Amino acid sequence: MATTDPVTATETKPDAPKPGTQSSIERPTSRLRKIVTDQQFILVIVLVVLVIVFTAINPVFFGLGAAGNILVQWAPIVLLAVGETFVIITGGIDLSVGSTLTVSSVIAAFAMQGLTTAGWSEGPTLLVGALICLGIGALVGTINSLLVNVAKLVPFVATLATLGAGAGVALVLTGGGPVQGGPPNASTLSAPIGGGLFSWPVIVVIVILIITGLFLHRSRFGRYTYAIGGNAFAATASGISVAKHLTKVYVLSGLFSGAGGFVLYLQLNGGSPSAGTGDELGAIAAVVIGGASLAGGFGKIGGTILGALILETVYSGLTIINIDPNWNQVAVAILIAAAASLQAVRGIQHRRKA
Amino acid sequence: MSDKGTPLYEVKNIYKNYGSVVALENVSLAIYPGEVIGLVGDNGAGKSTLVKVLSGAHQPDSGEILLDGVEHHWRAPHDVLAAGIETLYQDSGLAPNLSVSSNVFLGREITRGGLLGKLGFLAQKQMDKTAHEDLERVGIGVASTDRTVAELSGGQRQAVAIGRAVAWARKVIILDEPTNHLGARQAAEVLEVIGAARAKGLGVIFISHTLPHVLQVTDRIVVLRLGRIVRDSPTSEFNAESLLGTITGLITLPEQAAK
Repeated sequence: MATTDPVTATETKPDAPKPGTQSSIERPTSRLRKIVTDQQFILVIVLVVLVIVFTAINPVFFGLGAAGNILVQWAPIVLLAVGETFVIITGGIDLSVGSTLTVSSVIAAFAMQGLTTAGWSEGPTLLVGALICLGIGALVGTINSLLVNVAKLVPFVATLATLGAGAGVALVLTGGGPVQGGPPNASTLSAPIGGGLFSWPVIVVIVILIITGLFLHRSRFGRYTYAIGGNAFAATASGISVAKHLTKVYVLSGLFSGAGGFVLYLQLNGGSPSAGTGDELGAIAAVVIGGASLAGGFGKIGGTILGALILETVYSGLTIINIDPNWNQVAVAILIAAAASLQAVRGIQHRRKA
Repeated sequence: MSDKGTPLYEVKNIYKNYGSVVALENVSLAIYPGEVIGLVGDNGAGKSTLVKVLSGAHQPDSGEILLDGVEHHWRAPHDVLAAGIETLYQDSGLAPNLSVSSNVFLGREITRGGLLGKLGFLAQKQMDKTAHEDLERVGIGVASTDRTVAELSGGQRQAVAIGRAVAWARKVIILDEPTNHLGARQAAEVLEVIGAARAKGLGVIFISHTLPHVLQVTDRIVVLRLGRIVRDSPTSEFNAESLLGTITGLITLPEQAAK
């Protein structure tokens, strides 16, 4: 994707500030132009600049090992962020993704510990663990959708409640310590392959992202997701059951959180009650950096993928160039502010056009 | 009116309260094929509530709804759309972030053939093309149906909303303030579209504050005041002055109000 971005985006001059050049904005010149949006072009540039800067400071950064390490950190976060993207496009928010990741990985870790002790072999044990993670994700998503649709809570409050409940359950179950003793070779599944750049979980995550991207941008499900965020009344008046669709979206977000929990379990070879603490903020940051609007109606999977990649690149880069990791949060704050400002500028241009 | 046969769409003795506020009180209304009725009234007279009842967005507290003489209990707009009744809502019927064709097909998307179609994958090119044809057929040319609605002017948006309603309507079309935001020429085009819908045998319910338009295009005018129908008469019985007087309550017909 990175090789085609600059070409298309340069041809169409997406951010030409002159309001008079409407035709270039209104008539897409190619299909690629529609898929690769302006925001994503900017994100690729940002990513390239970050890599150049970090490499200039410490050449170790420019290697398969460092890149592979970024992808390992990126895999669980991007899963949360992609589920979050659907929710944010509907105009909602899901604060529970981090704690769902935690609680699903902890409960799956207990189950896999038990099955391993009972003499189950590795494959079936991991399969059960994965299904438990997804099941818990779906359960939390269902609770979120009931709180939003039936109890009529705003999504922020509804998912704040499940964030707290999930984190609490994880602490109660574990007593605050890690859960180990599952299939002994689980972590070999996430061992680096292909010169250190990839691992099996990362490859599976990439495949999931491609399918999900097509699903959001090309299917009826995706179309309804955008319609609800753009104008929920218009969606209802067009015969769409908004409550039913929101239920599916929150369950989908829960499933992605559960999947993130399983990936993290593989990487840590165990569960931890603090595994996903604060990850909801990382996920939301990735979505916002990716160009989605918290007001709903806008956002792209490609943007979210790049947003999460930028986040992890910054974390990893700051570590490699020996900057106190406590600065991470400040760096992320700057990125979010920059992305939001860019969006605000675009919004103004958009209104001028209309 | 009994010589016209069965009404196409009819509501009888509709009541609707919002808490202690009476929005509709014993409202009965019938529309026949190929008829354009004007629904007028001051702000708060109950026009929007009646539109929502007719379009299935709200359920009445009591009363009957009949389509082709058969009683229906609409649960959601989906039921009403499926029955061939289209509604253009004032200002809010389109999703601004979606393209023109996505809006025209919203809720009724065309999917691809085969497995991908079963998974809900969309035939976007076909929808772009069909939407373009639909809009042109009703006399609305939109240069490119893959532009988002947010990129259109107020008049163009209204044109898309009307085109969408006319393209899908099989029985009744309800137009809530369709000439809002429009210049004189565009408004005249909308009135032509209404005439074309009538010629096709559709029933048209035209809600407007622009009384000259109502007098020009309708066959019959229904006046709502404070949630009740105070007059339901052929348009020929009104002039601009008497219509305004009836809306504001300065002119009352006791025998009509008593019905």
